[in-house]
Amino acid sequence: MSHSGPSSLRRATAALLAVCTAAWAYLVWNAPVDAVQGVIQKLLYVHVPCVLGAYLGFSLTAVCGGLYLWQGEERYDRLAASAAEVGVLFCTLVLISGPIWARGTWGRWWSWDLRLTLTLLLYLVYLAYLLLRSFTEGSERTARFAAVYGIVGLAVIPLNYFAVDLAGGRAIHPENLGGDSLGRGMGAPFAMGMLTAAAAFLYLLVRRVELARLRAELLRRQLAASESTPSGPSWAT
Amino acid sequence: MNVFLAVLWKDLVTEWRSRDRLVAMAVFALLVVVVLWLAAPPRAAGESPARLAGLLWVTTIFAAVLGLNRAFALELENEALSGLALAPADRGWIYLGKATASFLLLAVIQALAAFVFALAFDLDLRPVALPFSGVAALGGVGLCAVGTLFSAMAIRTSYREVMLPLLMLPLLVPVLLGAVRATGALLEGRGIPADALRLLVVTDGVFLIVSFLGFDSVLDE
Repeated sequence: MSHSGPSSLRRATAALLAVCTAAWAYLVWNAPVDAVQGVIQKLLYVHVPCVLGAYLGFSLTAVCGGLYLWQGEERYDRLAASAAEVGVLFCTLVLISGPIWARGTWGRWWSWDLRLTLTLLLYLVYLAYLLLRSFTEGSERTARFAAVYGIVGLAVIPLNYFAVDLAGGRAIHPENLGGDSLGRGMGAPFAMGMLTAAAAFLYLLVRRVELARLRAELLRRQLAASESTPSGPSWAT
Repeated sequence: MNVFLAVLWKDLVTEWRSRDRLVAMAVFALLVVVVLWLAAPPRAAGESPARLAGLLWVTTIFAAVLGLNRAFALELENEALSGLALAPADRGWIYLGKATASFLLLAVIQALAAFVFALAFDLDLRPVALPFSGVAALGGVGLCAVGTLFSAMAIRTSYREVMLPLLMLPLLVPVLLGAVRATGALLEGRGIPADALRLLVVTDGVFLIVSFLGFDSVLDE
């Protein structure tokens, strides 16, 4: 059956996610409390992994958009749309967990720091991407428009980086974490957090692609049904 | 190349005959300056050039969005957009013709907006008129480069006028920041900073190339 593939993939990713989440929760619970920041530092195990999910989503959207324009296959468009939605979800979590952590450590919710501003801009680009998809009629046209916008959105990321750097956004956000920048006992829950985010990303992506496929199938059947009806408006049935 | 000139000529002639877009953009830019002046009146104790540069570019961007929203409005009638798409030429040239026409209209509005802005905020732009024109032109190219591409998309969506700014504004940050920084430096009496100039030139280049290539996928028969 054609449905056995997706659902077995779904089961596998769900199992992976369950195992990862349990291990992550155990490790985070037992992770040492930061001497300076206190318990709020444990947001590290949520905030940074969510960034991974957001970046995975946005890069996949642009790559699949490019593949769609090149090959014209509908499945790339479904994957691009699904990755954008999941990426926006993760980015929302980043933009919720970040300010909470910032309030606890910097004393304020937001700073127009380089990295914060860039993430916010990226978020707005992909929100516009989703709006463009929902306001465009015709699946083929939607796919083309969205692919072009996704690619332009990707091209602007390095430009935004230089622009915000130029505007002198004060660097308050810490640099990328190096191998030894984490305290003792914090490495394992952090790594598990990244793994859990990747598993959650995969699981949600698989579910979302399945939904997109079902929607496309439903649309096809509705069209076929309306074409085979000899007379009368199709919407009346 | 002929297609480019033909589209550019057609857009300029139709605009010259109706002057709809130009008048709407001019009145809107004037309104924005007045609203900005009322909302954030100039301070007596000297104005920060960075703030003024920011306000001037916000005026420009608002007027540009209004004008670009109408860039493909005429082509919607009688399926003219499909006719354009069927033209036996690289669609990139059609894009370039439309973008250049929008850029020239915007340049007129920029000059007008700068004049009104200088009057309202008691600003002497005359000593920096030439370098400021250069910065305004670079900013205008960036605005019209992505604006024309997205206008062709937004016109085919169900929320046309709303869609264009939503698509455009998050991507315009490099243009806005580069232009504001360069204009601010000019108003302070310094030269244009090289990094701001570089950012503007690179952004314009990237936007033009990506839009030139992407326009092919935006028009449909």
